[in-house]
Parts: sequence; structure tokens; C-alpha cells
Amino acid sequence: GKWKNKERVLIFSSRGINFRTRHLMQDLRTLMPHSKADTKMDRKDKLFVINEVCEMKNCNKCIFFEAKKKQDLYMWLSNTPQGPSAKFLVQNIHTLAELKMTGNCLRGSRPLLSFDPTFDKEPHYALLKELFIQIFSTPQYHPKSQPFVDHVFTFTITDKRIWFRNYQIIEEDASLVEIGPRFVLNLIKIFQGSFGGPTLYENPYYQSPNMHRRLIRLSMAAKFREKHQVKEVQKIKKTESKVLIKEDPTEAVFETPAEEKPVEIQHVKPESKAIVKDKRKPRKIQRKKQKKFFRTE
Amino acid sequence: QDGLKECLSDFKQQLAWVERLDVTLGPVASTVDSGSTSASDKDAVDPENDFQREMTFYRQAQAAVLDALPRLHKLQVPTRRPDDYFAEMAKSDQQMQKIRQKLKSKQEAMQKSEKAKQLRAMRKYGKKVQTEILQRRQKEKKNMLNAVKKYQKGLSDKLDFLDEEQTASQGNKKGSANQRVKKGPNAKRRYKNQKFGFGGKKKGSKWNTKDSFNDVSDFRSKVAHNKGPGKAGKKALNKRPGKRARQKMKSRAR
Repeated sequence: GKWKNKERVLIFSSRGINFRTRHLMQDLRTLMPHSKADTKMDRKDKLFVINEVCEMKNCNKCIFFEAKKKQDLYMWLSNTPQGPSAKFLVQNIHTLAELKMTGNCLRGSRPLLSFDPTFDKEPHYALLKELFIQIFSTPQYHPKSQPFVDHVFTFTITDKRIWFRNYQIIEEDASLVEIGPRFVLNLIKIFQGSFGGPTLYENPYYQSPNMHRRLIRLSMAAKFREKHQVKEVQKIKKTESKVLIKEDPTEAVFETPAEEKPVEIQHVKPESKAIVKDKRKPRKIQRKKQKKFFRTE
Repeated sequence: QDGLKECLSDFKQQLAWVERLDVTLGPVASTVDSGSTSASDKDAVDPENDFQREMTFYRQAQAAVLDALPRLHKLQVPTRRPDDYFAEMAKSDQQMQKIRQKLKSKQEAMQKSEKAKQLRAMRKYGKKVQTEILQRRQKEKKNMLNAVKKYQKGLSDKLDFLDEEQTASQGNKKGSANQRVKKGPNAKRRYKNQKFGFGGKKKGSKWNTKDSFNDVSDFRSKVAHNKGPGKAGKKALNKRPGKRARQKMKSRAR
């Protein structure tokens, strides 16, 4: 058949990405035959330069990975000429190369896309769903694609985030094995234009990783500060002038001092006491025997 | 919100389903239902519970597959790869080999540990059984000897019983000594046991009483007068003449 659906996706990143991100990018490129690669972009340039890059490469969709502080990874999904774009925070990346993912699929085979029903409930999710479909589905009769459908991408919404998984279809009765990669997307914002333009939607549950780290640090600091404060308060209490209670005249009413005894000085050593055997107490040997018996019991 | 919807309507592509291949479905109803089973309210998946979360993803994928495959077949899109169709895979063969190796090694490690555990358990059991047997034997021996001692000091008409017990306990002694040869020291032992009775060394077993003095059962005349056939001829060879005879010999020699 003829290849009609001319979708091309540009997948590239900024500088400063780590090995995991690089592998993820490569995995996406192998899984999507309708993708094109490009060199790393300098972070100095503004984002709308990306639109020009895409036009040069004749692509109409883009996946752009941006790494900040060598820790946080952001992903932009965009429809380049004029369409909407979305920015996500990517977490929990596992690549194709991990040995726990035992499935495999044809390189360039078309995927089946599976979405959570939650995607239809909210307008912003519906928009995202449309974006995912257009980007991730391989066009039919694409020259680099294989005609079989042997794996399925799942997008699920859990815990206010979008979880991505890739499974291989083994049998017709839907027994699946995970191929990988897998990642979690946390939506930040949706823009009307490509890499810019008015904000259509902002995720209220999103907390930037900086904020997250800051909160953790603050909580630790707060604990320490509290302990310190308690100590200060105690110190102050100690140095405070103590309140003097007035003397109570009724207190000493019932006191009767003891009679004074005459001081007696002994000149003669007292007689030593006669040692009287306690017949009730058993003898030493018997006591030892009892002890032994008691111990072994 | 309206802006979103507007944007969506602009953006939406009207493509045949074949192009998109998307399915929106909830997960397949799980066979293992914990507690409430109503299918309408989506049981909130606890994101922290890894297993549950992954199972929901798996089931969602399954639902999609079950829904999509018939549709694909109707549209004559192949889903099964023929066996003679060789093409490049997403993961290289090397990678798959590594994966297979890892799985195998894990399985082997588990099996080894299982075997080791079993061996240990068996050894423990065997040791327990062995100690039990030894203890039982010791107890039996002790009881036998005690009974024998009692009857030795007591009534004498129980001697028949005693004999049985003696041989029985002797058998036990031999048995516990692990099948020694019947000849050799056993004869000596037997003789001594017969002579001195049981219970090991007993102080005061040989008394010079009237009965023992009159007891001439152990007297062998041939041994006493050196008349009988010598076992090795030792006594005859080593026999030293008496003092008088020796002096006579000396004087005669001079």
C-alpha cells in the first residue's frame, strides 16, 4: 500500500544528559521508525529555535529531552508548526538494555496504543492522548516499518502521573512480556504554540524537583531548629530569678524538737556477743547442696 | 478549559483507525478480587504497591490486545510473524542471550540453594535419629545390667533369666563394638566374666571363705604338675631348676 500518513518525529536532546537519558533516546529511536535524530542543542539558544531545526529536517513532531543540573530530566512533546506542546518531568527511567525486561519485538513493527479511560474524562488528558497517538503510532506502510503488530504501548494515569510501558504480544490470547523501556511522565504545562505561546493548562499537582529537595531540606532544618529552641527555653528558665514564697507561720506549729540526750563516752570495750547457732538455718554443706539442686532444676 | 477544547478540535486528525491503532479501555477484570468487586468504581490503584500497579498496567494492555486483535484481523493486518520471516529485532541477539543467561543463572542459584537446604535438613534428621538409637542402646544396657545386679544379689532361682540376660547383654556389648571377631580376646573376656561375674571390677569379689577354699573346680592337675601337653612348650623350656639343684650343679661343675 501507499504511505500516506506523513508523520516524522525529531528526537534529540540538550547537552548535559546522563547515560540513562541517552539510552532512552536511542531506544525510542529504534522503536519508532518514523523518527529522526539530531545533534545536541546548546542550552544557550532559546526554545523556539527548535521549531526551525524541525522545519529544516522536515519533521512535524518533536520529542526534546532537556537535562538540568545533571539530575532532572524534562521532556517536551510538540507539534512543530503551530500545534500544542507539553512539558513533562521524566522519572523512573528503565531502558531496553535492562536484563529484567525479557521481551523483544521486530525493529520498526507498528505498536498498538492502549490508554486509560481517564484520558477521556478531562480535556487536557484528551489533548495529551491525541498528541501521544500522533507521535507514537507508526504510520502504515512506512518504508522502514514492519507490517506486523506485535507490541503494545500502555499509557496509564496513576497518582496524577502518566506511566508508560511497552509489552510484547506473545500469544493471541494476550499473554504479554515486558520489552521496555519504561518511564513516568509528570505533566507540568501545556502550551498552545510549539515551545511557547499562551499556557493552556498548568498541572496543580506538579512540584518542581527543586522545590521537592528544598522541602526535604527545610524539614530537616526545622527538626534541628526545634530542638535548639527547646534547649534555649530551658536555659532561660534556669537563669530566671526564682519566685520566693512567703514564709508560712502555720507551718512550724506542730513541730516538737526532740529531747536532748546526754553525751555518753564509752571507756571500756563492750563485751563480744556470744555466737548462737541458728538451728532453723540448715548447715553450710546442706545449703550448698540445696543451691546446686536449685540451679540444676 | 474552552481554549483546550478548541485547540483539541483544531489539532485532531481524522485518520482511519488503522493508522492510529489506539484503544482506550480499562484493565481486564482480575480473577483475584480482594474485597469489593463492583466493576463500575475503579479500585484506586495504590501507586506505592508495585506489584498491584504493574498488574493494572498489564491488564490494561491485555484488554487492549483482546479488543484490537479481532479488529486487525478483520482489516487484514497481520499480527503473527511467520516462522520464516527473519528481520532485525529491537534488541540484538546478543542482548537476548545475556537475558537468557541471567534467567538461567538465577534459576540455577535457586535450585542449588534448595538442594543445600534439603541436604542440611536430611543431615540434621539423620543425626537426630542416630543419637536416638545410641541413647536407646545405652539405656537398654544400663537397665539390663541393673537388673542383673539386682538378681545377683537377690534370689538365685532367677538364674535362668539371668543367663538369658547375660548373653543378651553380652550380645549388646559385642554389637555396640561393631561386629568384632569372635575369637581372640573374647574368649579371655568370656572366661573372666564367667569367673568374676558382671558389673566390672568389684572390690571384694574374691574372698577367702570356707566355700571358696573348698571350691576346687578351678584346679587342673595336669597344669599344676606340668604334665599335660604344653601349648607352646614354653614352660618346659623356661623351667629353672631349684636352688639346691643349682648349687649341686655348680659344685659338680667345679
